[in-house]
Amino acid sequence: MSEAVAVTQEDEMEETVFDPALAEQVIEKYKDIPGNLMPVLQGIQDAYGYVPKLAVALVAERLNVYPSQIYGVLTFYAQFHLKPRGRYIIRVCMGTACHVLGAERIRETFYERIKIGHAETSADKRFTFELVACLGACGMAPLAMVNDETYGKMTVQKVDEIIKEYSSLPL
Amino acid sequence: MVTLTIDDKQVQVEKDATIYDAAKVAGVNIPILCHDKKLKPFGACRMCLVEVEQMKGRLIPACTTPVTEGMIVRSSTAPVEKARKLVLELLMLNHPLDCPVCDKGGDCELQNLAYDHKVNANRLSDEKFHHQIDYNNPLIERDQNRCVLCGKCVRICDEIVSRGALTFINRGIETKIGTEFDGPLSCEFCGSCISVCPVGALLARPFKFKSRFWALQKKASVCGYCGTGCSVTLGVKDNKVLTTVYDENQGFHNGQLCVRGRFGYQFINSEKRLQSPLVRKNGQLVEAGWDEALNLVVSRLKGAGNSAAALATPRMTNEELMLLKQLMTQQVGSANIDHSAGYAHTALTEGLFKSLGVAAAPSAITDIQKSNLLLVLKSDAYETHPVVGFEINMAVKNKDAKLHILSDKRGKLAKLPNATTLIHKPGSEVALLNALAKVLIDENLATAAASVAGFAELAAGLSAFAPEQVADQCGVSADALKGLARAYAAADKALILFPVGLAYPAHDAQLAHAAANLAILAGKLGKEGSGLLVLQEKNNSQGAVDVGFVPAAGGMNAQQILDGCVSGSIKTLLVAGENPLISYPNQAKVKAALDKVEFLVVADLFLTETAELADVVLPVCSYAEKTGTFTATDRRVQKIEPAISAVGQSRPEFKVYGDLISALGGQAPVTPAEAFTQIPAYAGIDYASLKADGTFASVAIKPALVLPVAPALQVESGKLALLTGAALYHCGTLSQYGEGTVAVCPEGYLELSHADASRMQIADGAVVTVASANGSVKLKARVSLRMAEGVVFAPYHFASSAINQVWTGAAVTSVTISK
Repeated sequence: MSEAVAVTQEDEMEETVFDPALAEQVIEKYKDIPGNLMPVLQGIQDAYGYVPKLAVALVAERLNVYPSQIYGVLTFYAQFHLKPRGRYIIRVCMGTACHVLGAERIRETFYERIKIGHAETSADKRFTFELVACLGACGMAPLAMVNDETYGKMTVQKVDEIIKEYSSLPL
Repeated sequence: MVTLTIDDKQVQVEKDATIYDAAKVAGVNIPILCHDKKLKPFGACRMCLVEVEQMKGRLIPACTTPVTEGMIVRSSTAPVEKARKLVLELLMLNHPLDCPVCDKGGDCELQNLAYDHKVNANRLSDEKFHHQIDYNNPLIERDQNRCVLCGKCVRICDEIVSRGALTFINRGIETKIGTEFDGPLSCEFCGSCISVCPVGALLARPFKFKSRFWALQKKASVCGYCGTGCSVTLGVKDNKVLTTVYDENQGFHNGQLCVRGRFGYQFINSEKRLQSPLVRKNGQLVEAGWDEALNLVVSRLKGAGNSAAALATPRMTNEELMLLKQLMTQQVGSANIDHSAGYAHTALTEGLFKSLGVAAAPSAITDIQKSNLLLVLKSDAYETHPVVGFEINMAVKNKDAKLHILSDKRGKLAKLPNATTLIHKPGSEVALLNALAKVLIDENLATAAASVAGFAELAAGLSAFAPEQVADQCGVSADALKGLARAYAAADKALILFPVGLAYPAHDAQLAHAAANLAILAGKLGKEGSGLLVLQEKNNSQGAVDVGFVPAAGGMNAQQILDGCVSGSIKTLLVAGENPLISYPNQAKVKAALDKVEFLVVADLFLTETAELADVVLPVCSYAEKTGTFTATDRRVQKIEPAISAVGQSRPEFKVYGDLISALGGQAPVTPAEAFTQIPAYAGIDYASLKADGTFASVAIKPALVLPVAPALQVESGKLALLTGAALYHCGTLSQYGEGTVAVCPEGYLELSHADASRMQIADGAVVTVASANGSVKLKARVSLRMAEGVVFAPYHFASSAINQVWTGAAVTSVTISK
């Protein structure tokens, strides 16, 4: 049996764009520190925007950890993503306060405009859309976030403004 | 020691024991699902909750809680029972109640616990799981719907097998067991996960719907593949071996098996088994009666003297080998008997015999986990003897043994924590060990051995082996060699391991001398957990040596016998269980010998490639059908009893050779018990009291230092070095009939490095032609991280792609590869 993770057709496409140099840098930085798997995976996610399959094989080989174990860690923590994510992450709060003040309309409007649902990424990799249980700023309900930017007192008009603003930014 | 009370019974246990361990000593049964005596405590299932007087207010898991002095434990109070019942209700909530069609029915721990705790209704209701069942491999079925997440499979694959194929995926209610990226299982298929699964989530596919567990007869036996000598329990129904049954209390290995032992049993009741004797008539092999076949053999053997010869497989029992030896040497009058191609046993018969005064290794497999330092020659030790590999894994992971590997290619052992691997150029093993010995002598680390016979000669003879002198030639730096020698000398208990076998011609008498020298010089012999262990290829390789199935005085060895067949001096050849056409080197030479010999008799279970050339084929029994003893590689003599009656008209070889002895006017021992008493090596062992677990035959050593001759090996320029060896999934050629082993590793392959592959533009899986001066063979390429540049590897078991068409028996063969 081969030591590397089996490579499928989909992965071959990934392989053509996967540049191991970034992952190697991260591994190099942490490789002699005990308990280095989490920081390495976080560093890789920062570098690529997600954790590529081939990076998992590379980390497994370099850190001498089973690929299965890495996959277990990646699926345990919500912070890790195994698919490429959009440049701009839109989060819409579905908590109680937001719900009461019309979060559902906000979600619907986003879907009508950019046609992606929860945890989906647009084909051009510009947007990833996520519904979250509570963003912890109920006073600003209904609430949305794009990356680290917060948008309170959301309205349908504001949705259009947000999309316009981020569509004009570079990818 | 700690004293505590469990259910009003006072017990004394070690201070690192858990409440569960103490309860066992007290005879109190605490139910468990996730606990296993072979694995580290985990505490996942909460079945073992107990009340502890000193820890009132909550229930305590018995399997993870260490005992304390004066602890008062109650194991079955009303709150405990209530909690256990709730745990079971929660487990049964999502677990399908498909017990009538589940192969685990009757052997299922969840079923038993639900029954014991009368969980006949559930106060809760929820949907069942809808996981897809994994049928992606031929051996292990994974049904996550039945899983109780005890994690035993994940843990055994890590802690003992060190493969790490399985893991917990996701979190909370979505948690399941799976592989990386939730793909199909791709592993060693040892089935350890199946053996510990408490429910029907992991099942052996070859056994599916074959029998209910309770309808199986469980017969203790000894695995018939490699020299490890693992105990197995065969599951028998209607005179057929249908499966192997896990028994955690069996053998030194606690029931742990490899892929061959667990899944390779199917050869026993294979449809390909010979049903009756065959005799060649008008050029065709046709069915014949035993009388006709034996009469023919008798007529050829009578008075044949040295024009007859016998090659036997070390898979036969000691008693059968004894009889065949008697037949040949006494009745026929031939000294020409041998086994294992004449060279695979020389590490013992010649090497250790001269170095230690006995043709056996002084250490036992159980020494591995007691050692401080393991020096493993050739990483193939894992592939040839996987269960020994598990012992190495556990020694390194649990007992902090230091692992040093000296090998011509990487293997799984190299990935163990803190393993040090020195990759050397092929064929330089002896020179390297000589260099280590020289360091020991030069740095005064061998003073204790100064009085051992041969010390002065060795010290003088090693003058050309200073690390600096051999470094370049061997591809290992002088500093690394010195470091290894010092580490070896410094370890209190150090054990050297190396495999021998048909595919390892370099592991010969010289290597045995070199390894023994190290152990003698550094004073590592005669201590528990220290010394030397030779891993022999077949289940009775040590037995064949102990019985002395080697050329008698003036007799020919296996290679000379084959030459004799060609030259005409050997006219009748009896081949008992060997398949030289595939397993011996130089197929062309073997073919010429078998074609040329006047009369060829083959005794085998199958119509092997060798048997197809025979004049008479005698169908004989597998280990599951006979009585006798096997001797494992560490001189553990194990008794086997028939699990089933003989298949077809096949006969145990004990009877066949006994009858031949009688027909030639001799007197054979009547029973295996009687034959056993005639084996001098086993004097002092009582046959009647022998069990499948075995009794060690004594090994009294008389060390002597012998100067090993290091072979000068040179790969022709522009060519690659071909190494032969064993594949993890196979052992000899027998596993070619063990369906499970073939299902996961059906054909030969050529492993080569990424560097060579990209230079020659060979893709993984491409068919390539490997050619030497001797011939060529087509093999599938396997591009691998294990190989060094310029070195390729091919396993030897496969008739369809026999590497012996290329390989002539040299330790290293120069080959070219073309697409």
